[in-house]
Amino acid sequence: MSQRALRTGWLTLMALSLISTVISLWSFPDGWQALAGTAILILAWLKARVILGRYLGLDSAPFWARGFGIALGLFCVLLLGLYLAPLMF
Amino acid sequence: MSEAASELSVLDELPGDLMMWVLIISELLVFGAGLTAFLAVRVTDPVGFAEAQNLLNRTAAGINTIVLVTSGFLAALALPLREAGQNARARLALIAASLLGVLFLVIKGAEFADKAAHGINWESHAFFTFYYLLTGFHAAHVVFGVLILWLVAWRDAPRNIEVGAAFWHMVDLVWVLLFPVIYLLQ
Repeated sequence: MSQRALRTGWLTLMALSLISTVISLWSFPDGWQALAGTAILILAWLKARVILGRYLGLDSAPFWARGFGIALGLFCVLLLGLYLAPLMF
Repeated sequence: MSEAASELSVLDELPGDLMMWVLIISELLVFGAGLTAFLAVRVTDPVGFAEAQNLLNRTAAGINTIVLVTSGFLAALALPLREAGQNARARLALIAASLLGVLFLVIKGAEFADKAAHGINWESHAFFTFYYLLTGFHAAHVVFGVLILWLVAWRDAPRNIEVGAAFWHMVDLVWVLLFPVIYLLQ
């Protein structure tokens, strides 16, 4: 992985982390809380993808990047479902 | 081309050491199970979990996220620096990455001490059982990761740096999933 790609990955992670923290510190009305939580989980999924792709080098291994991407995506969907469950029942 | 040769090419595509990936996947499964269990138990008491979560210091945890992803960047940078023959800079990057790991532990330690000072322990609520279990287990990985970074800064062959940094990235990866679930989701 080139130094430039690593630097871009790091800046992306910093931006995504700051957005997550700002969303969590924001005082949302009750109805918007679930939307904020969903956004936070999507941001976590994006951060994990950046670490897998840039830091762990999967961007240069498409087969494995696809496999890890699918597994990570399914895991985040599971987390999202469990997070939203109390609001539905 | 035989099937065996085709499988070999797929494995060869995987960056770094195969056994390190086995370890990474194992660790991700353990933490993944822990986070799943945490959210599953939360379903039974969302109000109690939200009240307990409000006792956490989100800002400190947010700072720790910045510390850890920056540390991961420095650890990742060490390999291209070493491969370019810039050995001293590669070592410096690894040492800086490890020091940020130590800073993460200091902030985490202060967080645990603050909870203890307020009489909060792992039996206070189911939330805190998971909180101490997951963040404590992660912190133990950070300690181990710091030691590995020191080791590969000393024995700085490119392969060593690649494997050591991969472990550190796993610690980073776990945190970016653990942080929002434990600290942020309300």
